[in-house]
Amino acid sequence: MVYNPVLYGLKVLHSGSTNKNTFKVLIASEYCGVNVELVKNFKMGVSNKTPEFLKMNPLGKVPVLETPDGPIFESNAISRYVARLNADNPIYGTSLIEYAHIEQWIDFATTEIDLNISRWFYPRAGYSPYIPQAEEAAISLLKRALGALNSHLATNTYLVGHGITLADIIMTCNLYLGFIRLMTKSFTSEFPHVERYFWSMVNQPNFSKVMGKVEQTPYVQPLQSQRNPQSKPKQLKKDAKKYIVKESS
Amino acid sequence: MALVLHAGTGNKNAFKALITAEYSGVNVELVKNFEMGVSNKTPEFLKMNPLGKVPVLETPDGPVFESNAIARYVARLKADNPLYGCSLIEYAHIEQWIDFATTEIDQGIARWFYPRTGYMPYLPPAEEAAIAALKRSLGALNTHLANNTYLVGHSITLADIIMTCNLYLGFVRVMTKSFTSEFPHVERYFWTMVNQPNVHKVVGEVKQAESVFPVQSQKKPAQPKEPAKPKEAKKEAKKEAPKEAAKPKAEAVAEDEEEAPKPKAKNPLDLLPPSKMILDEWKRLYSNTKTNFREVAIGGFWEMYDPEGYSLWFCDYKYNDENTVSFVTLNKVSGFLQRMDLARKYAFGKMLVIGSEPPYKVKGLWLFRGKEIPQFVLDECYDMELYEWTKVDITDEAQKERVNAMIEDQEPFEGQALLDAKCFK
Repeated sequence: MVYNPVLYGLKVLHSGSTNKNTFKVLIASEYCGVNVELVKNFKMGVSNKTPEFLKMNPLGKVPVLETPDGPIFESNAISRYVARLNADNPIYGTSLIEYAHIEQWIDFATTEIDLNISRWFYPRAGYSPYIPQAEEAAISLLKRALGALNSHLATNTYLVGHGITLADIIMTCNLYLGFIRLMTKSFTSEFPHVERYFWSMVNQPNFSKVMGKVEQTPYVQPLQSQRNPQSKPKQLKKDAKKYIVKESS
Repeated sequence: MALVLHAGTGNKNAFKALITAEYSGVNVELVKNFEMGVSNKTPEFLKMNPLGKVPVLETPDGPVFESNAIARYVARLKADNPLYGCSLIEYAHIEQWIDFATTEIDQGIARWFYPRTGYMPYLPPAEEAAIAALKRSLGALNTHLANNTYLVGHSITLADIIMTCNLYLGFVRVMTKSFTSEFPHVERYFWTMVNQPNVHKVVGEVKQAESVFPVQSQKKPAQPKEPAKPKEAKKEAKKEAPKEAAKPKAEAVAEDEEEAPKPKAKNPLDLLPPSKMILDEWKRLYSNTKTNFREVAIGGFWEMYDPEGYSLWFCDYKYNDENTVSFVTLNKVSGFLQRMDLARKYAFGKMLVIGSEPPYKVKGLWLFRGKEIPQFVLDECYDMELYEWTKVDITDEAQKERVNAMIEDQEPFEGQALLDAKCFK
């Protein structure tokens, strides 16, 4: 085994290759010159259910980083760890207040952006119950958050300071899911500074190396596995069934 | 010089920074006279945090928002703070559990608690899902704490402070003893933590909830028409930062009590002189008569009928040429009957869809309380104006016979087949 003399050695990241949470770690490692490798043949839903995996993360969530000192889960935590492998890494800011602001925007990216994009996306993808009012609430909270982000980015090229920090990496990866699945141009055009920021970021060499070409979705992710259309009153359904038969004859 | 933290007392997110400050020997003070919903809407506040969320820490180098970030900043004010572990991997694990505490524990508890306060739409299936996810997370936490006194290493770290504060909201508002008894190691951990001097100083006496926080601002009982509620709650959510719990509870309860008892407007039909005909009796007779319908039900109808207290009406759809598709026509009629729901106590109706091929004709018979079509029905149900209404002259045998034919769904009706007959009762 070859060990990088400055770092701890090969780090293996357990995840599928198109997971936006994985991107965070991989992009951070590009910026930090840290060698992180994706485990081979990872199968979502299978590889993360094995007893060995569950020992690393009892919730079976992905990604997980294996290090010589033990496993780490939670994508933001992994990214922070990777960033700190390189002391005085600029992506962690150059002062205490910059550090605080980086953490502030990381948390914002998590609790305001990622959370609401997920609450919009996962029910449509069939991973959790689809409840129209809940989706409505999530979209409205997301808009509120994007509005605040938009204001900040009107006068700031990056989230913190004058260069890319860990906050930008995490924010961009969280926005990514929204851009490619849910947020069409007409939705994001309300937040032009966020648009500027996002396209700027994903086209940085260290980002595009990991993410590849990014295309904004032309439509909102359609509902999957809709078994029970909830809006039709009972009577209508009954009649429709009766008369669809008649129509065909 | 003290750092000023903008938050109300009793805010678990503020606790994080305050407890961290105790451990780190940093001077952090809560701002005086903070009023949730007021102080965080001022232009000065919004300059610090455009979302108006709480808490915010004022530092000489600028403001910081997001409670976890504030706690981290405070911790780092002390060099080599043991709260941050003593190695890189410990640091990573502290961050890992901070994130877990946020995404798994805080989220689950918030999704359970805030809809009940009326600050977000209360949706039972969403609450069910939130509780299931929370249990899953607590299970994982429980397993970890079975073999670990603290989350990381052998002493309290920032992860424990944040985890404890997040659990705090759950323990005092929604997680009763019977709920948490499933996670005994989490219980052990929580009670140990809140009794540490530096934590107890900030949090005070902690009492576990004896019952789940009741649902507030439920305006409509039992048969909820969902769209009405969420609109109210959404308005609230927009006004208040959802992360606050302490004060809003009192406000929410007060609002609920004020709005709930709205006096019901008196229906003019209730003021009519009493009639010997009881609508419900007719409806029962109509529904329960299975054989000899003409003799028993129709005969019974005319015996009960009181032309002074009630009136009969024929209605004829004005736009029958539109009725080219059978099930669309039927849907139209169904919709009409749904919208007549407000008249249920005062009306009985039969709607017939006539014809063996399009265009279908829609005709109906209605029995209304009073000698005229009730005004509130004409006002509230927009379908009424799509029909021609003629009062039945019961002295005319032909008209009387038509009434009978419509009540019993006679086929052929006026020489034509019936596509369907719907009853409003």
